Amino acid sequence: MSAGPNRVERMLNLLACLLDTRRPLTRDELVRQVTGYPPEAVAYRRAFERDKETLRAMGVPLVVENLPSGEQGYRVPPDEYFLPDLDLTGEETAALHVAVSAVLLGDQTGHGALMKLGGGLGLDGAGTPTTPIGTLPLEPALPVLFEAFRRRAPVTFEYRGESRTVEPWGLSARRGHWYLVGHDRDRDAMRTFRADRLGDDLIVGAPNSFRVPDDFSADAALDGEPWQYGEAAPVTARLLVDAGHDADVVARGDRVIEERPDGSVVVEFVVVNWPAFRSFVLGLLDHAEILEPDSLRADLLAWIGVA
Amino acid sequence: MSRPLAEDELSRILALVPWIVAHPARPKTEVAERFGISVAQLESDLDLVLMIGVPPYSPAEYIDVDAEGDTVTIRLADYFRRPLRLDPGEGLALLAAGRALLAVPGSDPRGPLATALEKLEAALELPDVGVAIDAPEFLDAVRNAAEHDERLEIDYWSAGRDELTTRRVDPLTVFFALGEWYVDAWCHRAGDERLFRVDRIRAVRPTGERFEAPESTLGPGDVYRPRADDPRVTLLLPASAAWVAEAYPAESVDETPDGQLRVRLAVSEPAWLARLLLRVGPDARVEDPPELTTVASDAAERIAARYGRAPTAAAKPAR
Repeated sequence: MSAGPNRVERMLNLLACLLDTRRPLTRDELVRQVTGYPPEAVAYRRAFERDKETLRAMGVPLVVENLPSGEQGYRVPPDEYFLPDLDLTGEETAALHVAVSAVLLGDQTGHGALMKLGGGLGLDGAGTPTTPIGTLPLEPALPVLFEAFRRRAPVTFEYRGESRTVEPWGLSARRGHWYLVGHDRDRDAMRTFRADRLGDDLIVGAPNSFRVPDDFSADAALDGEPWQYGEAAPVTARLLVDAGHDADVVARGDRVIEERPDGSVVVEFVVVNWPAFRSFVLGLLDHAEILEPDSLRADLLAWIGVA
Repeated sequence: MSRPLAEDELSRILALVPWIVAHPARPKTEVAERFGISVAQLESDLDLVLMIGVPPYSPAEYIDVDAEGDTVTIRLADYFRRPLRLDPGEGLALLAAGRALLAVPGSDPRGPLATALEKLEAALELPDVGVAIDAPEFLDAVRNAAEHDERLEIDYWSAGRDELTTRRVDPLTVFFALGEWYVDAWCHRAGDERLFRVDRIRAVRPTGERFEAPESTLGPGDVYRPRADDPRVTLLLPASAAWVAEAYPAESVDETPDGQLRVRLAVSEPAWLARLLLRVGPDARVEDPPELTTVASDAAERIAARYGRAPTAAAKPAR
């Protein structure tokens, strides 16, 4: 016998019951009403637990309440279950299909979302197969941060060996990495964090505990280079770069202060995060030289083992 | 009996029932195509839907499915009248893909994709998700050439070998991955298909020649994929450099008794390895192969010479 379809039928009926009921139903009530559960107590308890787990994993908002009888009651509030009407035009739905096919995120989650919005793959241009134009990494922490934001709940995590509690205000991807931008409660200031370095244990705190300022933009908060973020005092550095290696450096520096006859240029940078700037300069190998300040020159040489 | 299968089926049925309710008497072929299944699969899904009811299970409490002919209509499915809300991962996937595509130069910042994302954000209370994609100087030039099958001559700085070369290339596709733009091209100098970083192209000159576009075989997923014949190196890294094993496809990572990390990686170019080791700092070294044990100290010596300094003994390989 095929257990699969029977289980799907049983779970559809269970979910219909949970959505339809006005009052929380106990496990025994549900198992009695919904067809397909085994008769023996041990077996039906196990089957019910498994169904419950599957529904939760699918994102069904299953609410558990303690009843006066001491038992637990279950229901699914329709207003939490139902996808709000998004009022998307055909063009807008088609645009979302193109985006999901064009930007690879490492799994099929985007296609699952489109199915809920009414499917439409391969229809009248909506799902025209698109050559992927790019990829974004998808960090495991991102959905947790996403949900924490939705609930306006702070998250606590381990970052560079320290515990931080942050109100997640926004997420932003740039230069191949995702960043969390938010209000760091311990430092009482806005901070950014690399999402792939948040550690495995993200603890989501109490909901409805912050407001995001109306004018906040994660992109604007991150508009800058890695060496512009940090807690140190800013230092102005001058970097000499050889011809042929200057385009990226000029684009990322603050201003060009000298162009030499051999095609090399001197570019000025305001540096707050020295290790980030050092990494950038070392990426240029011996095609670049820090001219000023002496402290950064000495630090770079010490870092590579030159006294 | 597998759980993922049941979940997939449930998700599909919960998505297609509300759509059919809202679009009565549509051809089964259309519904099946829309949800990416066969008509036979749709009919078997509808058989299951027929069995859904709620207490007290009188006929009025069962979903009414009319699927006799070539069309399908569903009534009385009040509790499944809307699809299940998006879970956080799904919301993120839509927003991230949409924001990324909008950030690609040439996208219409006020077009249907932009308005669709605004509606999603507002209705689902999604956080501000930004995706920034830089546009290197010659991006438009190579995208144009790829679109029109135009052969180019480029000056390219190969960071891996640290050399500037001029080559004729046939650009096949252009894409971004891991924060950088790449062009997959047939390289006449190499006589092979090659991936080039667009930001490392130093000059582009049209040749006036066209090429017959062969199928591109490399895409966004291939960017950090090591080739089978790339040389392998074994590195000894301080514990603080654990990110190296995360950032690159390490083949093995072991902790040594004294708390260092022994990481095995595919490395195609010595200059790439030198840059990595210099960034990690003086505590990183190559354990194997012997001919690469001095790449970092050699590079450090060249940098020291540029700064007018002689390297100390500490920079020599600790062998």
